[in-house]
Amino acid sequence: MSSSNDWKRADNRIGVLFIVPFAVAALVFMVYPVAEAVRLAFFEHNPLRPEASHFVGLENFRTIYDDPLFWQSFRQAAVWTAWSILLQTVIGVALALLLHLPLRGISVFRGLLLFPYIVPTVVIALVLQWMLDGEIGVVNWSLKSAGLIDENIYWLATPGMAMGSTIALNVWKYTPFVTICVLARLQTIPLELYDAAKVDGAGALRRFFDITLPQLAEVLTVVVIFRTIWTFNKFEEIYLLTKGGPGTSTFNLAIYSFEQSVANLKMGVGAATGVVMMFLLFVGSLIYMRVFRFAEEDTP
Amino acid sequence: MKNKQAVTRRKFLAGTAALGAGASLSLPAWAQKKSDKTGVVRVWGEPGPYGGVAVDAMNEWAKKFAPGLIFKLETLSWDGVYVKLMTDLAAKNPAHCISVESPIAYQLMADLLLEPLDDVVQKIGKNRLVDGVKWEYWGAWKGKQYVLPAHHQATQMVVRMDVVKELGLGDPDKWSWDDMRNAAKTISEKKNDMAGISLALGRNLCTDYHFASLLHSAGGRMFDAANKFQVVFDSPETVEALDYVKSLQPYMPKGAVSYSFLQVVDSIVTGRAAISFYWGRPYGRAAEENKPVFDALQSFNHPRHPKTGRRTNWNDFQGWCIPRPNNQYVEEVKAALVYYQTSPEWLVRYCHSLMPNVSPVYKDVLNDPKLYTHPFFQTKRETIMNYYVNSLAHSSSTGNELLKGVNPLAGIVHGRSILAQTVQKVVVDGWKSADAAKWGAKELEQVRKDNLRLLGGVV
Repeated sequence: MSSSNDWKRADNRIGVLFIVPFAVAALVFMVYPVAEAVRLAFFEHNPLRPEASHFVGLENFRTIYDDPLFWQSFRQAAVWTAWSILLQTVIGVALALLLHLPLRGISVFRGLLLFPYIVPTVVIALVLQWMLDGEIGVVNWSLKSAGLIDENIYWLATPGMAMGSTIALNVWKYTPFVTICVLARLQTIPLELYDAAKVDGAGALRRFFDITLPQLAEVLTVVVIFRTIWTFNKFEEIYLLTKGGPGTSTFNLAIYSFEQSVANLKMGVGAATGVVMMFLLFVGSLIYMRVFRFAEEDTP
Repeated sequence: MKNKQAVTRRKFLAGTAALGAGASLSLPAWAQKKSDKTGVVRVWGEPGPYGGVAVDAMNEWAKKFAPGLIFKLETLSWDGVYVKLMTDLAAKNPAHCISVESPIAYQLMADLLLEPLDDVVQKIGKNRLVDGVKWEYWGAWKGKQYVLPAHHQATQMVVRMDVVKELGLGDPDKWSWDDMRNAAKTISEKKNDMAGISLALGRNLCTDYHFASLLHSAGGRMFDAANKFQVVFDSPETVEALDYVKSLQPYMPKGAVSYSFLQVVDSIVTGRAAISFYWGRPYGRAAEENKPVFDALQSFNHPRHPKTGRRTNWNDFQGWCIPRPNNQYVEEVKAALVYYQTSPEWLVRYCHSLMPNVSPVYKDVLNDPKLYTHPFFQTKRETIMNYYVNSLAHSSSTGNELLKGVNPLAGIVHGRSILAQTVQKVVVDGWKSADAAKWGAKELEQVRKDNLRLLGGVV
């Protein structure tokens, strides 16, 4: 009876109307693709022969479990994600602290900060490919001109360097996201806390560890979770810069999934990889939130 | 003065732009069928001006017989061909006409994704092919022709003759594998900032092709087409070819492990490498960008394998095919292909568009005096004839290994870069060649197992 009355209220109906487009978009562009990927993970499906698609149970998961390249991709994805997040967080917080200083013209630098974030990845990757070219790249030329190196460094053609280069691209592009989030939080920390600490004789380092960092804990938790999910799933930066090479030294799970789906035409195996990635990230996020007690209500 | 004599592809093509006029002088009635269809006919081609020339010819046909149609070229990068092709086919949205290398064409035809073109072959003329090739090299399966020749395109050993002469390295035409390696070593040691040899070692199609030519020279193959396509890759010949690549690596640019087509051409044209295996493309670029390098380049058949004596190259045998799915322009594309393929003028222009990268496939074109009006013939005749004619006796590809039978699995092998990955196991990951050959054989066995349907009726 009461729900019927609620529906009769004009503002409730308008509210539902506003929600409908989002709900439809979410169903079509989020729920359906995820559901389809999960379904495909249990099928053998060649996109050129869709009529021959058939249920194979857990076979696709067995395939990736038995594939050494899957495990190599997993390890490399973990390394790529861990270094990217660590560096983004450290540099992002440091930059936020700098940009929080009340200096003349600081707003200009805050604006510039967005630049890497808004440049399309494909542009950056292609420019970086040329810059990092071992033979004709401007980076080697500059380092040689400055007398810092004698021999060319093959940034994208040696396994360790290639991984470092892809991490550097990721850090350069996404550190501003961390900085902006942290800066926003920094601006809401009551100044009285710092004044009181100063009165108590706390130095800058002490104030950072005892006031700033605890105040940033929640925003950093959110940022790290999101950045971890996005970075772990990243495809285009690595693919555009190294295509997963040299060899398979910069494969991550997203590239592995792509290779299985498009190059090998094994959509089921690619989808199974996606499902594993989703599961890993879900479990990882739960553990992370539990460890950092995120979103727990303060008990009185 | 030098600049005035410099050959530029664009200038030359501008001068021959009128060649296409009158192309339909001996046009079969079949190609004069009118069509009132409208729209854009999508044509896929690899990078290079020749695809544009073919599409110009098709548009000339459209102007006369199907004024509502426009043929439009979509250029696909070499390393992106397979992904683009498969995703568009999977989405049932392929181009209406495709120019593609034979191994990929074989896969498509065996998967029944292409329109049979026997009727077109009859109109074009079954007896026109140059000596040393067969129609099946471009794409025939179970008695039906699915692919029309666009060109043949073999790799040759490209050599900087100024360097070879300066260092007294002998006649490259007589080199064996060992001689070529010794030459590369000497050049690397004696010439500053110049690699002895530049081959692709990246995880890409170019590496597949470079390695396949060595594998076939050694007498090795991936599959045995005469024996139910059994995998024969785990062999002493594969190990030998891998060992040879490994032994060349110290004389290659360090970045070669990520090289593909473009980087190999760059290394030749910019003078950073003295020897390579490559198609004719570097000549066009060098003529425009680095005249001294152009003057010094000469191409020969590949070096001889010490035991087999083979000088096997990689030949694309690139052809035109018509995808079946959702293709409302099949008849129009067939008519346009007949129009362009029966026009010696357009076919000469096609070859001229990037000399000597695309070799004529019809005798009448090869014997056409107009073909020899290109200025490159003044200084590079021997090289051009090596690409055009002498390469054919040594041609091979993964799709027709040592010309012992069409193999529709090769396209998938390239899609997965299995040969390139095998090479990279050795040159990047430091595997023993024997282990890498075993790994490659296992991958090929999986390809065979997954795609037995393509071999239906054969296996």
